[in-house]
Amino acid sequence: MRRNTVAMITAVTAMLTVAPAWAENLIRIGSPYQTTTLDPIRSSAAGNIETFGQLYSRLLRRDADGKMQPGLAEEWTISDDGLELVFTLRDAKFSNGTPIIADDVAFSLTRAIKDEKSAYSATLAAIDSVTAVDSHTVRVTLKHKFAPILENLEVFNAGIVSKADVQARGEQAFVDKPVTSGPYEVREWRPNDRLILEPNPHYWREGYPKNDGAEFIEISNANTRVSMMMSGELEAMREVPWSQLAEMQSRDNVTVALEPSTMIYMTLLNERRPPFDNVKVRQAAAYALNVPAIAKAMTEGHAQPANTTLPSALNYHDKDFPGLPYDPALAQTLLKEGGYDGKELTVLIAPTTDSDKLATLLQAQWSAIGLKTKIEKVDRSVWWERVPAGDYDLAPSWWYNETSDPDLAVRWALCGSCGTYSFQTYYENAEVDQLTEQAVRELDPAKRAALYAQIQRISTDEVAQIPLYYPPYANAYARDLRGLTLSPSLQWSLEEAVLSR
Amino acid sequence: MTFLAFLARRLAGTIPVLIGISLAAFLLVHLAPGDPARLLMGDRASEEAVAALRDQMGLNNDLATQYLNYMGHLLRADLGQSLRFQRPVLTLIGQFLPATLFLIGYVMVISVPLTVILAVTAARNRDRWPDQFIRLGAIIGMTFPVFWLALMMSRYFGVELGWLPVSGFGEGFTGHLRHLFLPAISISAWLVPLLLRSLRATLIHEMEADYVVAGRSKGLPEGLNFRRHVLMNSLIPTLNLLGVMLAYLIGGAVVVEVVYAVPGIGTLMINAVLGRDFQVIQGVTVVYALLTVLITLCVDLLSALIDPRIKP
Repeated sequence: MRRNTVAMITAVTAMLTVAPAWAENLIRIGSPYQTTTLDPIRSSAAGNIETFGQLYSRLLRRDADGKMQPGLAEEWTISDDGLELVFTLRDAKFSNGTPIIADDVAFSLTRAIKDEKSAYSATLAAIDSVTAVDSHTVRVTLKHKFAPILENLEVFNAGIVSKADVQARGEQAFVDKPVTSGPYEVREWRPNDRLILEPNPHYWREGYPKNDGAEFIEISNANTRVSMMMSGELEAMREVPWSQLAEMQSRDNVTVALEPSTMIYMTLLNERRPPFDNVKVRQAAAYALNVPAIAKAMTEGHAQPANTTLPSALNYHDKDFPGLPYDPALAQTLLKEGGYDGKELTVLIAPTTDSDKLATLLQAQWSAIGLKTKIEKVDRSVWWERVPAGDYDLAPSWWYNETSDPDLAVRWALCGSCGTYSFQTYYENAEVDQLTEQAVRELDPAKRAALYAQIQRISTDEVAQIPLYYPPYANAYARDLRGLTLSPSLQWSLEEAVLSR
Repeated sequence: MTFLAFLARRLAGTIPVLIGISLAAFLLVHLAPGDPARLLMGDRASEEAVAALRDQMGLNNDLATQYLNYMGHLLRADLGQSLRFQRPVLTLIGQFLPATLFLIGYVMVISVPLTVILAVTAARNRDRWPDQFIRLGAIIGMTFPVFWLALMMSRYFGVELGWLPVSGFGEGFTGHLRHLFLPAISISAWLVPLLLRSLRATLIHEMEADYVVAGRSKGLPEGLNFRRHVLMNSLIPTLNLLGVMLAYLIGGAVVVEVVYAVPGIGTLMINAVLGRDFQVIQGVTVVYALLTVLITLCVDLLSALIDPRIKP
């Protein structure tokens, strides 16, 4: 009797603690960001961007050093006036084995530009038309000179989809198992849980992907991601909490990488109503902040303090611009001159990692110069309803850019006439708007740099937003995983990753 | 026959409850602020594109039309399509419910025997050291926040010792047992003390009842007297408490599901709420209601089995 009990307990214990052997080596990537659609034009949200990159190839490809390389297009020519681009396609196939031809490219790009539910057509707004000249030649004509055209043709929503499949299945083409042109195809998608990818057997880059596939696992809780990473249940994870970075780095099986990002943490100011319609009050709020100290406190010193309104990883970021220094005395004077009446202002935050901490730090420094605030925390959905409606005064948040070219960033955050109302702050400066258009039409890099420097100087001085810090992506990788990196614009080099076990 | 009539009556009684709950869920999600289209398309999406998607989702119709549409589907046992994933809500629920049900079953298998053993030991040794020890343990178990305990256990048993997985649902029955072991223990650590205290108190109360004294004076052996009379009469209140707790756990297990990344119904609900996936929120709410009704029904039937005085 007793012996049986012992045997049973031993058996149960063995069953519980012995892990089953893995049949295949999927690279498991844990991220708080969800995949919510497989249609490359339907979303510009973080998790989806990462997924699109694995499923759909573009005409061009960005290599590990950030250089533009041939993608589905083998080569291309640009006319002397810069208004016409002709791409020659390589012999490539979709995941279902059908050839990728110029018609598919014209269809996909036109869809991204013209479809009324295309989330982010702004990237390709300068394109007048995309036509298939013959089966392997695509002509792109522009409305005007447009310096970042090649970069923007590499953005996620310019991914090539199968015209025949999308026309046959409509929206259903992206619900389950889309026909893909990228390194992977979908084996299984369990919304709210995980996306399982397997190699696309017809992928045009020979010898890639170098692994059996991957799982994008959605794990909202940062502590859980850390536990999973440390216990070997993940091969890679996004967003290591700053406070646990050192602990993770000290483990034998994990390495932490701080990879450059195009992220910027900043504070929006509602410039549609008092007091922040007055530039002096905005400047007061900026001079009140000890930005280097905030950057250090928020990220344990891993982020660079922000000096301009644009992310530091962008081309033409003006690293020599001094920014607005910490000067509480000047801030108090400006606050008085700006006619701030002592009203309590609303700091609106969404519950992202550390948003409470950031808001509290800001609140303390603003209160030191006499700017009274109260913090209101709402979920992301409500945040996105109240900010566009102008129902806030200050809103600490972050954004990032899809390419290293600054044009999209400027249109998003600083241009009042570009449809985004300067990230809903309603900051508007006619000169900045004019410079935005001028800079994108300027093909000489040196001259472009000067124009973007001017934009950064004006918008930082006028406090379009209060720039705070430029954090790197803090990712963790298993030590037996090689070759996986995350680009500044959120694209994984997954096809190059090798798992050695 | 009376039993079947009872069952039919109870099931019929759930229909108005379900209608009321579905209406409440519908109004709550539609009157609360938040736009699923904006969340789906991302920060940089243009207003025009978001508006077009809202239109396609049918969110620009008036509320009455949307409600009638929803009820029409519901009556045909169709919970509609997820706004975010364009998949049937039933498919999504079918995908997430098993993990939660397995977890709750697991918790039951651990908690119920443990509760009975500990409560009986404590009651029979009232105020002596085993009782004090069990009561102290119960208080400690109830005081620890579940998420903190869950996190600490995953760090210690999963990461440091490497004995057990810290996430997921696993493959196959033994896989489920392995992956849900720590989650089940985390919930039981909080549930057992609750049930234990209730059962112990009732046991002690019943042990002093007149009928027990009568049995004892008739020469009934103490053990038999306890098992057949005291224990049986004490189970009903705890069973009712267990029913309430189980109904609560179907939604309340979410804390543990999140910490251990278990793809359960609570995770589905949280993501649906954050993403304003109206159809899924409504669907899961109806499923919660149905399960609660079923659990209550089971508790009533079991009570009748244990105590013949309770007529079903």
